[in-house]
Amino acid sequence: MENIVETQKLTKAYGDFVAVNELDMEVKRGEVFGFLGPNGAGKTTTLLMLMGLSVPTKGTAIVAGHDIVEESREVRTVASILPEYSSLYGDLTAWENLDYIGKLNDQPKEERENRIAEMLDIVGMSKWADSKLESFSRGMKQRVGIASALMKNPQIVFLDEPTIGLDPVATKEIRELVLKLNREKGLTVVLASHLLHEVQVTCNKIGIINRGKLILLESMENLNRVMSGGEDRRVEFMLTETTPDLVKDLEAVKGVKSVTQENGRLLVYGSMDSDLDVSKTIVSHGAYILMMKPREHTLEEIFMKYYNQEVAG
Amino acid sequence: MAGTMTVASKELRDQFGSRRFLILFGLIVVLGGLSAYQGVDFIRNNVGSSFVYIFSGARMSFSFIQIMVFFGPILGLALGFDAVNKERINGTLSMVLGQPIYRDSVINGKFIAGAVALTILAFSTIAIMCGITIPMLGFAPILEEALKIVALTLLTTVYLLLWLSLGILYSTVFKKTSTSILFSIATWMTFSIVITILAMALSSALVPLPAGDFRGTPVAPGGQGSQGGQRFTISPEYMEAMQERQALQTAIQRLSPTQLYQSTASAILGISSFGFGRQEFAKATTLGEALANNWANIAALAAVMVVAFAASYMMFLRTEIRPGD
Repeated sequence: MENIVETQKLTKAYGDFVAVNELDMEVKRGEVFGFLGPNGAGKTTTLLMLMGLSVPTKGTAIVAGHDIVEESREVRTVASILPEYSSLYGDLTAWENLDYIGKLNDQPKEERENRIAEMLDIVGMSKWADSKLESFSRGMKQRVGIASALMKNPQIVFLDEPTIGLDPVATKEIRELVLKLNREKGLTVVLASHLLHEVQVTCNKIGIINRGKLILLESMENLNRVMSGGEDRRVEFMLTETTPDLVKDLEAVKGVKSVTQENGRLLVYGSMDSDLDVSKTIVSHGAYILMMKPREHTLEEIFMKYYNQEVAG
Repeated sequence: MAGTMTVASKELRDQFGSRRFLILFGLIVVLGGLSAYQGVDFIRNNVGSSFVYIFSGARMSFSFIQIMVFFGPILGLALGFDAVNKERINGTLSMVLGQPIYRDSVINGKFIAGAVALTILAFSTIAIMCGITIPMLGFAPILEEALKIVALTLLTTVYLLLWLSLGILYSTVFKKTSTSILFSIATWMTFSIVITILAMALSSALVPLPAGDFRGTPVAPGGQGSQGGQRFTISPEYMEAMQERQALQTAIQRLSPTQLYQSTASAILGISSFGFGRQEFAKATTLGEALANNWANIAALAAVMVVAFAASYMMFLRTEIRPGD
């Protein structure tokens, strides 16, 4: 798959403060890329540069084949951004806001009107087309915001903390909407967030940024492997009984690196080849296996590991 | 260009829908109408007076020029002081600039919208004043007078645009609307009121009057030039110092756009103004003479307008879009 975003040593400094520091990253077309980092890590600054709205101090980036500095207008033709906070006019209706954006994109009247109707339908806001935004809840505003980002029919959309301040129901709706757009329209999504769970359930690739530096860039698929240090994994067992002798024998199984107990469950960490011997050992101790499943690392664990490494220097 | 016109038409719609603009517009139209009515009264009492005196009110009342001197800055600044920073605060600036338009489309569109609104205001106020007075007087302006009215309208428009440019400049320079409105008020007060006080104080300090130059000589009560049985004479030295002081005061006041507008508009109409509520009628001049004598004032007004807008244009193009904009 081709890269839709490619950055090379992308840097942004405000005086002495370096907001983004020599960022090298790639996003492939059709991905939902999670850009993860604590507040002030440099996520929004990166997105603004990728939109051609902020000029890098150093380095370059290509978005959908266009240089972000030399061809910033072309970048803004194929890319959209939904800023962290409502970026639409409260005194205009949902329809009028989208109409204004369509006009700024030089869309002919008929095409524009069809597009507005389609976008409002996609985000489930057709019923409120003629209501002013100032009367909307934050979730409704975000929906219209997403519709506004889609007005130009972009190849890639940058969402900056799209669910911040939303209640759980609205959060889930926005998340499902993003995944639907990715699935049905093939839209590439770059989702900047500091919410680990949101990124974990939405994205198929993540980049972790801290203090302006990218500290990890990996697909979610590979993350567990990376965390385990190769082919190793953790398997969670629920048994009828667990004895100290069983734990001791399991630790002696070839390929097993550690055995721990957590909430009455047994966590066996080791190579995949050891699974059969582990099962045999359990059965030989007269216990039955009620449940056995590989346990993936949570994004929180992954984030904290890399974050702590970065902080430790 | 499409981006500029899109921004301009949205802004224009916002202007005409805003209470701020409509209240000021209404106020100016009402005051203009009242001053025109007073002008009609004056013309009726002074047979042979020019039609353009409808813009000068009566001898001891307010005129269209004085209304503009006072309210013009408020109008222009009110339309411009939050043009850019409001978008920044509301977070809409990054959305607009995130569209495939040239960055200057935004600032150009905002200026065009303000300029159109103020031009409509100037033309319609003057048209309403003429429309009210023609039936009352029973005659219309002759060609020379009509040209003077057009010149006055154009001059008023340039004057209003100058304040609009200053307002837009403040909205570009300052991130908070509260700061830009404070600077707008300070500018208006400085050029409308403070500069006159400053000019008087400075000219008094720099040009002292000779002491004891009023000479009183007894005359018969009621005689010419008498007051309380004494005739006052002024020595030539005293007179010269007074004139020097007056010249210095005028020169300092000419730093103010309001003063430039007032003196130029007065020259076009053929009146001499001395501030709110005081004016005299000067020797009638032709439009050509008035323009020839005041071209520097007109050029200065236009230059300030262009410089203020150019500064805001340059600053806006260099403005960094940062998180939260």
